[in-house]
Amino acid sequence: MSVPGFHRPATVEEAAKLLACTEGARCLAGGATLVAMMNASLAEPKAIVSLAGIGELSGISVLAGGGLRIGAMTRHRETAEDARLTGTLAVLRDAARQIANPPVRNMGTIGGSIAFADPAADYPPALVAAGAEIEIASASGRRRVAAEAFFVDWYTTALGPGELVSAVLLPPPRPGAGLHKKLARVSGDFAIVSVALSLARQPSGVAARIAIGGCGPKPLHIAEVDAMLTARLGDADTARSAGERLAAASDPVDDVRASADYRRLVIPRLVAAAVAEARTALEAK
Amino acid sequence: MTALKGAVGSGLARVDVREKVEGRAHYTADLYRPGMLFGAILGSPHAHARIKSYDVGEAMTVPGVQCVVTGDDFGDHRMGAFIKDEHAIAKGKVRYVGEPVAAVAAETEAAARLAARLVKVEYQELPAILTPEDALKPGAAIIHEELDSYFKVFDTGSRGNICSRTDFTQGDASAWSKAEVVIEGNYTTQPQAHVSLEPCGALAEIDAAGRITLWSANQSVFRVQANVCESLGIPMAQLRCVTPRVGAGFGNKMEAHIQPIAVKLAMESGRPVKLILTREEDFEIVRARHPFKIRIKTGAKRDGTLVAREVEVLLDGGAFADDSPGVLGNGLWFSCGPYRFDYMRAWGTLVYTNKLRFGAFRGFGNPQVTFASEQQVDEIAALIGMDPVTLRERNLLRGDDRWFGGTEVGSNALGACLEQVKTRSGWSRRAELKPSTPERKRAMGIGVTAHVSGLLATGAIVRMLEDGSIVLNTGAVDIGQGSDTVLCQICAEALKVPVDRIRLASPDTDGSPYNWGTTASRVTYTTGRAVVAAAGEVERQAKEHAAEILECAPSDLELRPGGQFGIVGVPEKTVTFAQISARAHWAKGGPIVGTNSYVFDRPTFDPKRAIAIGLPFPQIGALAFGALVVDVEIDEVTGKVEVKRAWSAVDAGRAINPLSVEGQIEGAFVQGMGLALSEQMVWDGARLANPSLMDYKVPTALDAPYDIEPIIVESHEPDGPFGAKGVGEIGINAVPAAIANAVAAATGIRFNALPLAPERVLRAMLAK
Amino acid sequence: MTVALKINGAAKAVEAGLSDTLLTVLRDQCLLTAAKRGCNQGVCGACTVLVDGRPQRACLTLAANCEGATITTLEGLKRDPTMMRLQKTFASLGAVQCGFCTPGILISAHWLLARNPAPAIDEIRAGLSGNLCRCTGYRKIIDAVAAAGRTAAEAGA
Repeated sequence: MSVPGFHRPATVEEAAKLLACTEGARCLAGGATLVAMMNASLAEPKAIVSLAGIGELSGISVLAGGGLRIGAMTRHRETAEDARLTGTLAVLRDAARQIANPPVRNMGTIGGSIAFADPAADYPPALVAAGAEIEIASASGRRRVAAEAFFVDWYTTALGPGELVSAVLLPPPRPGAGLHKKLARVSGDFAIVSVALSLARQPSGVAARIAIGGCGPKPLHIAEVDAMLTARLGDADTARSAGERLAAASDPVDDVRASADYRRLVIPRLVAAAVAEARTALEAK
Repeated sequence: MTALKGAVGSGLARVDVREKVEGRAHYTADLYRPGMLFGAILGSPHAHARIKSYDVGEAMTVPGVQCVVTGDDFGDHRMGAFIKDEHAIAKGKVRYVGEPVAAVAAETEAAARLAARLVKVEYQELPAILTPEDALKPGAAIIHEELDSYFKVFDTGSRGNICSRTDFTQGDASAWSKAEVVIEGNYTTQPQAHVSLEPCGALAEIDAAGRITLWSANQSVFRVQANVCESLGIPMAQLRCVTPRVGAGFGNKMEAHIQPIAVKLAMESGRPVKLILTREEDFEIVRARHPFKIRIKTGAKRDGTLVAREVEVLLDGGAFADDSPGVLGNGLWFSCGPYRFDYMRAWGTLVYTNKLRFGAFRGFGNPQVTFASEQQVDEIAALIGMDPVTLRERNLLRGDDRWFGGTEVGSNALGACLEQVKTRSGWSRRAELKPSTPERKRAMGIGVTAHVSGLLATGAIVRMLEDGSIVLNTGAVDIGQGSDTVLCQICAEALKVPVDRIRLASPDTDGSPYNWGTTASRVTYTTGRAVVAAAGEVERQAKEHAAEILECAPSDLELRPGGQFGIVGVPEKTVTFAQISARAHWAKGGPIVGTNSYVFDRPTFDPKRAIAIGLPFPQIGALAFGALVVDVEIDEVTGKVEVKRAWSAVDAGRAINPLSVEGQIEGAFVQGMGLALSEQMVWDGARLANPSLMDYKVPTALDAPYDIEPIIVESHEPDGPFGAKGVGEIGINAVPAAIANAVAAATGIRFNALPLAPERVLRAMLAK
Repeated sequence: MTVALKINGAAKAVEAGLSDTLLTVLRDQCLLTAAKRGCNQGVCGACTVLVDGRPQRACLTLAANCEGATITTLEGLKRDPTMMRLQKTFASLGAVQCGFCTPGILISAHWLLARNPAPAIDEIRAGLSGNLCRCTGYRKIIDAVAAAGRTAAEAGA
């Protein structure tokens, strides 16, 4: 390579090997996070492993069972424009659409975003609500982790040394609706709080999956809350109680965007609003 | 008169727009000089500390480093607009986190920044004073121990940590007895960052003779010159300040930033040095809008007549005085609003703290006090059951009314402005407004304001070149507001030539007449007046030549469109500028040059009418007026406030370039909206917690309403150029107040603190 | 430490270290200074250029990662009909004040019109939401983009 320390491998395995073996190596996906940190002298990598040359990592494809595979290097713009992310998967498309702004959506990638695991980012709660799995690659092979288990703590994921995200795997889209309701100070900002909601039409009614972002170290998801909403989606009190359960379980901090108190205060209100909006969308179909 | 291209009143495309849309405009960071080095600064980690020693050894070993300077390399010279309290770089003491303590010049920016981080400074920490209240406590650490010895431009009353105090009184306090309703309240506003898109920077070069040329992001080449020379202890004639294109100002580039340091690095290294701040440094070390604490009391009769007002303010000035004494004075002067009061007293104190200096920012204290004063007017209206517009109409300054302190008001079309916004917004039918969704509340709010246009010194030189073309030189920096174009239009109109016959000389302390600066909405009015006068001089001189050429008396002649003179009533007898100028150059009289130079000299205060103690601007005036109505929605789920539509009417006397006037109104509105709703500089202890655009958010194209209707009302200021006054700031002053008034109308809650962030609004709505 | 780039239709070999961004290389080595450094964090948008035809932040793009990419700056679009229309409407409708945001905004607007030739006002606002302007309040910028779109439609472009 013409720049010392800069690597542009052609395969995932090569990339994983380089990351594992090269001291001070950082993985470069879209650059939205890593290069910003480098510019601010918050990261000074001795080597960079660019994923730009790995064909396998780009694009959204349909798998044998009808599920979707989003390559780790898929840009937010592509995810936001993909019509196959519909029904129960619409929540993910809605989240991608609200990340930052058009030029950043041309650069940022789903793999890069989730590997950084910013608790205020849009993908984490949306992936949990969509029931996604994360495919992790290393020099020795691939493994899968449920999205919920992938986000471990503040800016911490289940990735081990020498591992990288290779894809996001989604179950087949089923009839339903979804939305990613995001509260931010201005357009394109990180979320103060976000509510990711996916509704699935069932023979018996509607099943709900809801996750909250921006209010703790990782997306907040409580199975019992899903069950509460699934049982009585149309009831405003249930939606409010569900939100209060989530708020009580949340672990927000004070930061420049908002206080922890405000986040707790607004979670139930946003949940109720999100449920109402999603139900309306579902009924309109 | 035939309509000449670009005449006054035409929304002409700007003279600098082609280079900007083609990406060829050069700002400071775009300039390259042979052998140029890059500069970088090291900022203080402490808010308040004595500097004990420096060790630059390791910094000097970084490859590419040419020199390192610290406070020890600078003499004990101080600069400052009102109080000369500021060194070029920290010397002896640091007074805020981030204050430059050392600087490096190196072959690359990366090397300079690395080396700067390696400069070791030994400090002895002192107690950090972070609020004005703490600064005023007995026994508080003193931030400027030599305050008494500093040169002060006016009687500032400085002592201890008090930087300045000001007290204005007009009328008799017994007027309070006539008040049948009295409202008193306390209001606070937050620090706002300018976020000019271009970060501050400078490029300094020493020529073979030892003379310095300095390009910088600036609002005044003359203030840069004065500040650099005062803080370096060099004669002003040794420094030539010029200006590339400037990527916006709003006040942060009016006084010095790192220009003195860039010059020093050039002097020490012997090579040109370009120093451009990062966005983070720009947030941390340049300047910001003053937070105000305001106590205000307004009294009125039940019939709506305003009777008396009292305003007391406390300002956090940060570590250095900068323009702050002026902001204090200006804020107090405008706190009466454009109304008649029998008694008005406005007083306040400006206090040093260990934070970055607060300084000039569009409005200069006016938006802050107006947030309080225009809410009180609405509160009174509510108390007596009167429509807020009607109450204002009843009390507006009219006719021969004078402004607070006694200065004359020239033109005043505020009544028409109010009428325009009332009509166009549908104000009388505002109760019928429906929120866009059931979970929102919606209401309209109003605010009125005035602002200054005339102050300090300016000049103009109009030269007729040998071929009859015209060069205009005013020294006024165009920071994007469009003054280059407006001044050319004024000159063109005065000389009756198409605007493309006028070329502008770039501001240059070597050749331009003194111009205090592009600030205080003053360039169109103050410099425009000088341009008209200088052009008049050219006309007079040219006419003499024409008379001799045409063998008549000058009084027989008229200036005709297209650059010529002719004998009145004799269409075919003409002589062109080119012919006149050739004669002047080669035969008689010498090249034609028209000049004008003046300092605005209408007194602010008439001692027979009012008392002023601590008056920073003794001669300021030429008032512009504005009225604003906003249509606002509040999301009851989140507390978020959104402006849906706005109508902003401005009396700027005469719109020389209506497109540019609209641009100022629209831009000021959105910047005011940021102040009202989303912008806030936050301190984490002594350190600014959000010095980045990730964390400090200004409105985007999706946050600003599309429906901003700028309304130009023309009144004709008697001594303004073609009747014009200033328009740069009038559009921002009433924005926070109008929005707060709308929110109060929608929610029934008065918000006395800015910004109206969602958390504050939601909590208040839930508490109700 | 040379990287082979394709900039404005021409091959250009630049010197780049690991951490050098495309923005630094464009400005300091190629002297293409239309793209500006407003924040170096990808927020302000003043550095926006086209990479493989799409607007991206040059300040967040590593030069070393650009081998094989087609880079177009404002300077490279001076004969592009859509850009020329935009420049004309920006100039005549007062959409430029200090001009620092203008190159980035023109790049974003160009891409918007390429994908959506007659955009509605809200589509323009969304399309420009990644470019900050502190001077204009956005109104005249939006109107200038709309006018450029309309002119194209009228011209049958």
